[in-house]
Amino acid sequence: MTWSIAAPAVMAAFLASLVEVVEAFTIVLAVATLRGWRSATLGTIAGLAVLAGIVLLLGPLLNRIPLHSLQLAIGILLLLFGMGWLRKASLRAAGIIPLHDEDAIFAAETAQLGQYRRRQQSNLDWVAGITALKAVLLEGLEVVFIVIAVGAGRGLLMPASLGALAAGALVLAVGAIIHRPLSRVPENILKFGVGVMLSAFGVFWTGEGLGVAWPGQDLALLLFAALFLAAGLLGSALARRISVEIAR
Amino acid sequence: MIVFKEVVAELIGMFVAERRLTIAVLIVVTMAGCLVDFTDLDPLVGGTVVLFGCLILLIASVCRSARAGTS
Repeated sequence: MTWSIAAPAVMAAFLASLVEVVEAFTIVLAVATLRGWRSATLGTIAGLAVLAGIVLLLGPLLNRIPLHSLQLAIGILLLLFGMGWLRKASLRAAGIIPLHDEDAIFAAETAQLGQYRRRQQSNLDWVAGITALKAVLLEGLEVVFIVIAVGAGRGLLMPASLGALAAGALVLAVGAIIHRPLSRVPENILKFGVGVMLSAFGVFWTGEGLGVAWPGQDLALLLFAALFLAAGLLGSALARRISVEIAR
Repeated sequence: MIVFKEVVAELIGMFVAERRLTIAVLIVVTMAGCLVDFTDLDPLVGGTVVLFGCLILLIASVCRSARAGTS
């Protein structure tokens, strides 16, 4: 394992997981605020159990896929996923679409559960639990994909998993202390950075899957990341200019 | 069942954030694959096509969305 590729993998897993865990935490906290920690905790545990089941079921299959095919498949998926994040982060940075607002999401989830309480009191525990389960499962699936995507191609699943676990632990620790949505996390900057890293990994693995021997080997990742960062910033600047011209 | 549907929708949404961008990326990768497999060119040419193709597509997609004023 070389640090030039392990460090970006761990960093990408950590930062991407940070974003996802913050989003899941906001919804679980809304459930807990309105209905108490029992429903929120049960829903969270159920979501984590389903995730663990998926990983245990599908994880061993990864070893049966030929390395080049695995790299190509993961590379393409990473390109689609990473460029999607980078595109959205660029548009948010340009002010074309609104920033992700954890406080607003918290308020919306609380209001939605509150409406349900007024209609059907008896089923609220169930609804609250399912809401927490869904949040943990949906955001967790993204974390699982990112960990597999940045880790599986070079046997870095364990370091990438540790990066994701560290992010989860950090969010839970901070969340437990402040007990409110983590709205101060600079989510768009994180998403921009993660989009850059995932897109760079995407090009790298896709190339390896196609049989490309990248000059500089793992160090090529740094060049790709720099180019995607530049493209994201350029796209954002152009988008801002376009929106100003349209507004005139 | 609703949760299952939402999970499937989320999974698809993870990779198809914007349909045109997704299709364009797949076309670029397919072109690079054809270059590597069916010509005598160095595979590095295919890798370069993927890299610069994706960079151009990203900028074009952001600008297109800015013109449309939507996500």
